[in-house]
Amino acid sequence: MTDDTVELVHRLLAASLDAWHVDGRVEREADHITITAGEHSLLIARGAPPFRWTVTLAGRERGVTSIAGLLRTVRRVVDPDHQASRLRIAPSPLVPS
Amino acid sequence: MIPVTVLTGFLGSGKTTLLGKLLKSPAFARTAVIINEFGEVGLDHDLIETGDESFITLQTGCLCCTIRGDLVLTLADVLRRRDEGTVTPFDRVVIETSGLADPAPILHAVMSDDALAERLTLSGVVTTVDAVNGAATLARQPESIKQVAVADRLVLTKTDLVDETPAALSDRLAALNPSAPVLPASFGDIDPARLFDARIWDPSGKLAPAEEPHEHHAEHDRNRHDERITCFALIREQPIPAVALTLFLEVLAEHCGADLLRLKGIVAIAESPERPAVIHGVQHMFHAPAFLERWPSEDRRSRLVLIARDLPCAFAEALLDAIEAEVRETQSSR
Repeated sequence: MTDDTVELVHRLLAASLDAWHVDGRVEREADHITITAGEHSLLIARGAPPFRWTVTLAGRERGVTSIAGLLRTVRRVVDPDHQASRLRIAPSPLVPS
Repeated sequence: MIPVTVLTGFLGSGKTTLLGKLLKSPAFARTAVIINEFGEVGLDHDLIETGDESFITLQTGCLCCTIRGDLVLTLADVLRRRDEGTVTPFDRVVIETSGLADPAPILHAVMSDDALAERLTLSGVVTTVDAVNGAATLARQPESIKQVAVADRLVLTKTDLVDETPAALSDRLAALNPSAPVLPASFGDIDPARLFDARIWDPSGKLAPAEEPHEHHAEHDRNRHDERITCFALIREQPIPAVALTLFLEVLAEHCGADLLRLKGIVAIAESPERPAVIHGVQHMFHAPAFLERWPSEDRRSRLVLIARDLPCAFAEALLDAIEAEVRETQSSR
């Protein structure tokens, strides 16, 4: 995983807190990203395969396999009242263009 | 497939006048119209004359609030009557919403029913805006903002009453939905082809550059006026891997859901760069991508237009960037 990707994830997490209206800070350290929001402090680092990322909260570490999973995990902690929607694909086609 | 057009617009914005004119046009023959009126007693259907080959069905109550299921039943019923030969074998359906309706649940109802999907397809949303009162209505009525935000075509009505479109209204429409062409109509006069033969993705539509929520110069009660709705575009020069696009839409739906009022776009898919994918979604519901035979213009960039409430452009940009990078890394490591 490149440094560029870590920087992109850092930027995404900062934009996510803003989009979710969560007060907090996202800081990038040498080998991890820290999110501080309310009473929570999450440490996000690169993971070993099959996980791409690890999220550590209160000393407990869990692995996630994608950015989608990372965002889901972070939001459950910092915005527990959020009710996620699931993408639905309409059975009807688009009008042929 | 029979195309379904949703005609919406705030109370008094000229929907019924427009529809009445259209139904007298030979080019608009063989149309089934479903009119929804708010209140116990409907009137609009009595105000419209149709040609011999079109007909009107009336519903009362607000489509978006209470009788969405009734809309599905009504659509199924008109299809059944068409099959039985008890009504004209119509070629299109127009649903005229009440002026107070939030169009998103209506679009969901049309898009999501399995049985209807075999025969009907959503062809677009046409929204009427009153050239005289439109700016004030948009400032006061959150429903009117959503009606404009989801439109594929905006029809500016009552243009005979103004010398030119008020700048405040033009600016507001451009900020809320820059990709929808604004078509003037006086006394409902407009070429039907410009409205109802419109494709959901019109490559001639304008695209806003990615932008932060636009500024508002007056003091407003933001919640009441719902000025948290913004429109922006994500543009990519390089084709996007199909799985990255799928993940992007899934994460947007998961985290933004009801606040994602409309997303439409034309996308260069890395696996199929010569055949762009057209995507279209309302809130968390999307059509499967439709692949065009060829690019409609020289512009081969991916362009996604999002209209959303409380969704910063920076989040969508960062999300697509990060997911693209992750997918490319995964693919290159194989």
